[in-house]
Order: sequence, then structure tokens, then C-alpha cells
Amino acid sequence: MIKQLTIWLLFAATLLILPEIFDSLLAISIFNQMAIMIVFALSYNMLLGQGGMLSFGHAVYFGLGGFLAVHVLRMVEYESIMMSTTLVPLVGGVFGLLAAIFIGSFSTRKAGTVFAMISLGIGELVAASSLILVSFFGGEAGISGDRTFGPPLFGIEFTQDLHIYYLGAVWMFVSVLLMYLFTKTPAGRMANAVRDNPERAEFIGYSARKVRFISFCAAGLFAGIAGGLFAVNYEIVTEENLNAVTSGRVLLMAYIGGLGFFIGPIIGAIVLTLVNSVLSNYTELWMLYLGIMFVLTVMFLPRGLAGFLMMHRLPWHLGKTRLLIRPYVLTALPASIFLLSLIGMLEMAHSSAAEFVYLGMTFNSSGIGSWIILSTLTAASFFALRLTLPQLRAAWTAANTQSALKPSTAANGNPPLNPSLKESSN
Amino acid sequence: MSILSLQNVTKKFGQTEIIRGVSLDIRQGEKHAIIGPNGAGKSTLFHLISGRYSVSSGTIHFKGAPIHNKAPYEIARLGLARSFQVTNIFPLMSVFENIRCALLWSMGYKYSFWSMLGKQTELNDKADHTLTEIGLYDRRNFPAGELAYAEQRALELGVAIASGAEMILLDEPVAGMSLSEARNAVALINKITEGKTLIMVEHDMNIVFDMADRISVLVYGEIIACDSPANVRSNAKVQEAYLGEVASA
Amino acid sequence: MIEVLTFATLNGLVTGLLLFMLASGLTLIFSMMGVLNFAHASFYMLGAYFAFSISQYLGFWPALIIAPLLVGVVGAVVERYGLRHVHKSGHVAELIFTFGLAFLIEEVVQFFWGRSTKNYRQPEILDFPLFTLFGQNFPAYKAFMIFISISIFIGLYFVLTRTRIGIIIQAAITHPHTVGNLGHNVPFIFMAVFGVGSALAGLAGVIAGPVLTTFPGMALVLGSIVFVIVVIGGLGSLIGALVASLMIGLLQSYAIASDTGMQDLLNLLGISFESDHILNDIWTITLPQIAPILPFLLLVLVLIFKPTGLFGKRES
Repeated sequence: MIKQLTIWLLFAATLLILPEIFDSLLAISIFNQMAIMIVFALSYNMLLGQGGMLSFGHAVYFGLGGFLAVHVLRMVEYESIMMSTTLVPLVGGVFGLLAAIFIGSFSTRKAGTVFAMISLGIGELVAASSLILVSFFGGEAGISGDRTFGPPLFGIEFTQDLHIYYLGAVWMFVSVLLMYLFTKTPAGRMANAVRDNPERAEFIGYSARKVRFISFCAAGLFAGIAGGLFAVNYEIVTEENLNAVTSGRVLLMAYIGGLGFFIGPIIGAIVLTLVNSVLSNYTELWMLYLGIMFVLTVMFLPRGLAGFLMMHRLPWHLGKTRLLIRPYVLTALPASIFLLSLIGMLEMAHSSAAEFVYLGMTFNSSGIGSWIILSTLTAASFFALRLTLPQLRAAWTAANTQSALKPSTAANGNPPLNPSLKESSN
Repeated sequence: MSILSLQNVTKKFGQTEIIRGVSLDIRQGEKHAIIGPNGAGKSTLFHLISGRYSVSSGTIHFKGAPIHNKAPYEIARLGLARSFQVTNIFPLMSVFENIRCALLWSMGYKYSFWSMLGKQTELNDKADHTLTEIGLYDRRNFPAGELAYAEQRALELGVAIASGAEMILLDEPVAGMSLSEARNAVALINKITEGKTLIMVEHDMNIVFDMADRISVLVYGEIIACDSPANVRSNAKVQEAYLGEVASA
Repeated sequence: MIEVLTFATLNGLVTGLLLFMLASGLTLIFSMMGVLNFAHASFYMLGAYFAFSISQYLGFWPALIIAPLLVGVVGAVVERYGLRHVHKSGHVAELIFTFGLAFLIEEVVQFFWGRSTKNYRQPEILDFPLFTLFGQNFPAYKAFMIFISISIFIGLYFVLTRTRIGIIIQAAITHPHTVGNLGHNVPFIFMAVFGVGSALAGLAGVIAGPVLTTFPGMALVLGSIVFVIVVIGGLGSLIGALVASLMIGLLQSYAIASDTGMQDLLNLLGISFESDHILNDIWTITLPQIAPILPFLLLVLVLIFKPTGLFGKRES
């Protein structure tokens, strides 16, 4: 209990001091984007990770929330209504909730492929309709607003991104806390149960459909809040925020971060926002790398980055993590060379310049010499990498096994963690 | 007093009639076994009673109220619980969570998204108590999917009875168990179904004749006998169904 | 009116049959492996691009044969090394994998061929009007497309119902374990079916590329519609896929060709609204405008009222 409280306090403290450490405009704007995406990705995980419902149309609630929020900003600007900018994300949340109640009433009957297909259909339907209903959605140009017309809060008129940072941080903190607490309620727990075994859940007295519906509505609420935050941050919302690309992006974030852990989507949102904003400055191929990363994650790291981190829990518990250090380094060496040379080849192939500058070295892109060097490096490091894998595997087994001489229960009397422990008390 | 009553229940899948007019009255508090050759329709009968399948014709009443067209969750809420032939628990949740979820509805939590489960002392105590009763307290925090087979069957049992259902349907509870495991399981079943009505599908005749107050014999979707163990044993039709001919002794 | 109807029907037929070529492969793969392959339309795109590049060196006709084969090989490799690996993690993981694959293929295509539309043209030998009706030409190439599509359907039907391998495939669809126990190499059959399904998609890309334009977004455009068709027709039903494909193809064609809109309906009812009315967008909606969303509307309706689709037997 104390441990939990400490984590939340640390979280809040980090949020407060972050803009002091990284105070450039770029950093603040990236943080703002992260805040939005964290709320969005966590809301998506309520559906997929916790409820077992794969949705390809979650951006609908994000976008609808955003659109209503922008309209509210405009109404405040033209003095039709009066509302503080701080409450605008809530407006987004309410609209997202209403939309989810409506759509959820018929789409949560089944989970699985049928649900996924309905979500796809609804997503496409709403995105396409948004181009037709120009008065609400603004057509291709979208709808823009101005967040500075609301009544000032302690003298702040939200003219700067830094102000938005604190607003976003508060909303994000509250949303994350609420979504976390939801997982500890009967509705949240039964969502897990229905995900694992819908039939069994029925036989203990719960209508699987109703459980899914509640998760669905909650997910819509928080997606709408994220949309509202987006509107306040960027002051413009377009069809793009509703469409399949955005729905795909949030799926990516949640999946790469790790579906089975509450912290997974948070990690995914942070990593993907960084990739999106930072990596894109260094290479035009960042989307390609993202795609490769995604497919590899699905194949080899199905529990995402969070899952990968959590795999180290047992070794940590057994005090054996240092067994892994040397094998990791041994594997990381050829792995990094492989990655760097492969990326080098891809970038060189892609660049149109005669001379290709990479990692401080200049290559002649039309010369066969550069190609030979890079391809040999790639192939050699790949084989070297494969050679290091057995020792890595052996080290993992060792790090996960208890020593025969030590007592089998940990000091606090709890039973030892099972090596293949899956996260159950999520 | 009949707690469960089936009247002329039939069930067809397409053209195939699996249950052909079964009428059965289960008395409150009795331990009733259903036996029969493979394919007789025993599991189907359970599915019909617990709401997984709907009847093609006929009626089923539980405590006087009709349940034959109700959804499984409605029937469960009325106080009828069941276990499954193939272990059917929540594999990714801990053993404790499995039991706690089974308790939620009966303790009135419904779909609440505002009560913090960690703080519900009465609920958590009751879950721990049930765990102790079924002997799984040591495995409290393990993911249910990682228990040994016999432990999973015990958990299965625990989930079925946790909510305090008055009538319990057990589908081959000791299937796949060794002799000692089965003995323990039977002792557990006897302990936790005390005072409740139990309907059990079972193949092990020793267990059946030991535990049951009455036995129904289901053959090709029909009940050919429903009587005390001794009478069923000497029933000619039953012997013929099992042995192919009337036993000479 | 009749001329509009005739050409709309013909165009609808072309589109519908093309969609069926895609939907049939998807249905086969789904029936057999339970996987709804998001990347199916990506194979269609690969077919068009491969054909484009091959036709630059060897001409259209060799491309027609080689490109689908190449795509089939890619499909088989994807199944063998990708899908099979992910299969054990469940259906959701498979869907996510194919989704990621679709994303990846789009990026790879852009890497190798760039982002601009490719000038992939139909062969000159077919570049003439087949007939002229009511002053409008019907290109021979479209007739060629119809011809290929129908031949594929007949061929597929024949193989599945009359040949030995077809019967085995049909059996493996519903009882893979039994078929395996009978000594057939089920994993190989899976790989082959996935490869053939992908090749079919590639073939659709080869013939559609010149008409529907070859650009990196072509998979996205057609992909969702093909899903809609497969789900509406009923997951696992080839007949359903055919009916739904034709239905959607014709429906869209008629909608685009028609001149009516909400205004006509309102006029009929004697209602009119001011042009600055809040819901003006809705009152002025025309049928051609909503043509692109009709398939999705249909999808949602079908999923609500008949989740197994029109002809569906199997529910994921």
C-alpha cells in the first residue's frame, strides 16, 4: 500500500519537475504529445489488454471528443458560452462517452473477430461521414479554434505550450489514476474474467455483454478526454484524428508497449511519440523501421516492451540479474553492428545523393565498394549474433532457476514466483 | 420437494435428437448421480439445465421458476452453479482472484466500478475462507493456469460453490485423476456440498454408488431408470444397456 | 436512363468480379486457418507493382503470369516463417500480425518504388473500345478483366470440388486434425493455400493496376472493402463472397452513376430547409457522395442483425 502511494507520488513529482529539466520548446511540445497519447493508449488498453476486445476503430471516440472540444473553444471565442479551457477535455470525454454508449449498445454483443470487424466498419463509416458533414467536421481542412479566450486561471491565459503542459499533466495524472483504479473494481476485474473465459464468467452470474459494454464506455470516455486534450494542445482537429490511421497508431502503441501490463501502453505511448518526433528528423525511413519493429515485436516479443522488462522480475527476485549482464553485452555487440550496417544499407539505397554520410563516415553510394563493405558487415554480424544466442539462452535459464541450497520461500513467506509467471494481478 | 424439475425435455441439433423426452424431478438436498454410456447425452443435459443450450421442447423449472429459456448468467444468479468436464477457469488470473470473482455477484457488487476490491474485507475474507476449504490457500497467488491438474479441478469446484449456490451440477469431477487424488476430491465434494443439492455425472461406479442417494440412467437421450443405487444395480434394463445382456447373478 | 443503367451495371460487374477475386482468396484463407488476413490487399498491391516492373522489361503478358507467382511465393514465405510462428499466440495476435504486415508492406513498397503513382498501363493490344453503346465506349480491357475473373471463379470451383487436392482442402477446412491423421501434410496444405490465396490477390492487382491506378495507398482503399465483403457474405462462404462482391460492386456503381440525393426525397415529401440550416450537410447529401460509405453501412447493419453474414456457417 505504501509502495503504491510512493509510486504515484513519484509519478506526480516527475511530472512537476520534468519541464524544469528539459525546458526547450521542442521538449515541452513532445511532452504534451506524450500526455495525450498516454491517455489515448491506456484507454485503448481497457478494451484490448483488459477486456480482450480488439478494436480497429478506437480513434472515433478520440476524434469525436476532439471535434466537440474545438467547437466549444470556438463557442467560447465567439462568446456563445463561457467555459474555462481547463474543463474542455472533460467536454471531449463526455462526447466520447456518449458516442461509446450509442455504438457500444450494439457492438459489444460479441468479442473476437465480429467485434473487430464492426469496429472497423464503424471507424470507416464515421471517418467517411466526417468528410461529408462539413459543418461539424470542417471537411478536409478540419476545424480550428483558439484556446486563449477562456477565463484566465490565476492569470494564465494558456498562450504558451508550457501552460498546456501543466494542464495536460493534471488531466493525464487524473485519467491514469482513474483508469488504474478501474482495474481494481468489480467491473474491471470481471472485464479480465470475461476476456479470459466469457463462458465461465456467465456461469458465475455475469452477463459478458454488459461487462464488455461498461469497459467499452469507459474506454470511450478516456479516449474522448485524450481527444479534448489534443484539441486544446493543437487547436485544430481534422478527419485524420478519427480515421483508420490513428486507430492503427493507438493499436501499435498499446501493443508495442505491452498489452498485459497497466504500464505497457504508457511505455508504448512514450516510445512511439519519441520515434514519431525525434526519429523522423533523422531519417525518412522511420515509418519503415517502425513497421519492421512492429512485426518483429508481434513475432518475438508478444508481450511488448513492458513484458520484456517484466521477464526480469524473477531473476531480480532471485538476485541473479547480474548473470545476465555479460550475455547481454555479448549479444548486443553483434546485434548493434548488424542493425547499424543494415540501416546504413537501407539509408544509402534510399538516398539520392552521390555521397552518403553515415555515422561520421562518408560512403560513395554509387561505388560498389561501399556496398560490399556494408553487406559483408551485415552478414557477418548476423552470423555472429546467431552464435551468441545459445549462451544468452543458457544464462536466462540459469537466472531463472533457484539455487538448490537456498530455501525455497522468499523472506516474506510468499510462495516463490513461478518462472513463467504471467501478469495476473493487473 | 423438488428443487429441479424437467418435463419432457428434448434437444435436437439439426435433425439429430440428442435428448428425447427426459422428465426428471430432483429432490432438495439429495445427491443425484446421472450415469450412462458415452454419447448418451449427459453433458448435453447439463448444458440444457445450466442454460448453455436452449431446449427444443419441454420445460425446466428451478425452485418453481422456469429456467429453460434463460441465459446462463440469469440461471447462475438464481442459485444454480456448475463445474465443467474440461477445466474451465480463468487461467491468467490468480487462484484467489478466481474465487473472488465467483463471489462478486452473490455479494451484491454487480457491475460496480466504484468499489475498490482491495478494501472489501468481508469479500476478501470469504474468498480466503473458500480457498482454505478447498485446500488451495497455499496457491493463493499463483496464476490459475499453472496449477497441477488435480488442483485446477479443485479450483473448478471452488469457483462453482463459492457463491453459495443451492444446487450444484458437477460434470465428471474426478475424470483424469489418480486413485488418491479422486479419493481426496470426493471427500472435498462431500464436505462442501453438505446441505446442498448435488447432481453429478460420473463414470466411476464405486464413487457413484457410494455418494448417490438416487441414480438416473441416461441411454440414447432417455432416462431408463431413476432409483436408489441398489435398485438401479439390479434393474434389468440397466444391466442390458451396460453389459448387453441381463447379468446372471 | 437506360444507357446510364447499362454502363453502371457493366462497371459494377467489373468492380464486383475484381472484388470477388480478392475476396475469394481471403475467404479460402479464413476458412482454412481462421485468420482474417489484413495484409491480403497488400498482396494485391504487390501484384500490381511487380507487374508494373516486370512489364517494363518483358511486357504485360509475361507479367500477367510471373507477378502472381511471385506474390504467391511471398505469401507462402509469410505463412511459413511469420504466421505459423504467431499462430500459437491466438487469433488476436494473428490479426495484429497481419495488420502489422500490411503496414510493413506498404512501407516496403514505398521504399522500393517511391511514393508517386506508377504509370502502369494496360497492354496496347487491349486498348480499344469493345463496343459503343448509346455514344459511350466500353473498353476491351474491362471485358478482359471480366473474362479473367470469371475464369478464375470457374477454375477455383472446379479445383475445389472436382479434384483430389480440392477435396482434401475442403476437408482440412473443417477437420484439420483428422486430415492430418490421414497422412496429409496439413502444414504444407496451409502454406499452399495461403500462397495460392495471395497469388489470387496478386493477380487481381496485376489486372486492376492499370485501371484503378498503381500507388502506395491502393491496398488501404480496397482492403477495407474486401473485408466488408467477406464478412457480409459470411465468413467462410465462397458463394457468399461472390454474392456480396457483386452486390457491393453494383451498389456502388449505381450510387455513383445516379443523380439523386436527399433533396429529391425531400422534394417528394414536400419538405424544404433553408440553406444555412444546421443539418444542411445532411439535407443536401447526394447518393454519389455516400457511395464510398455504403459498404460500411451495410457491414454494420449485417453484423448487427445477422452476425454470421448472409451465407455464413462459421463464426470465427
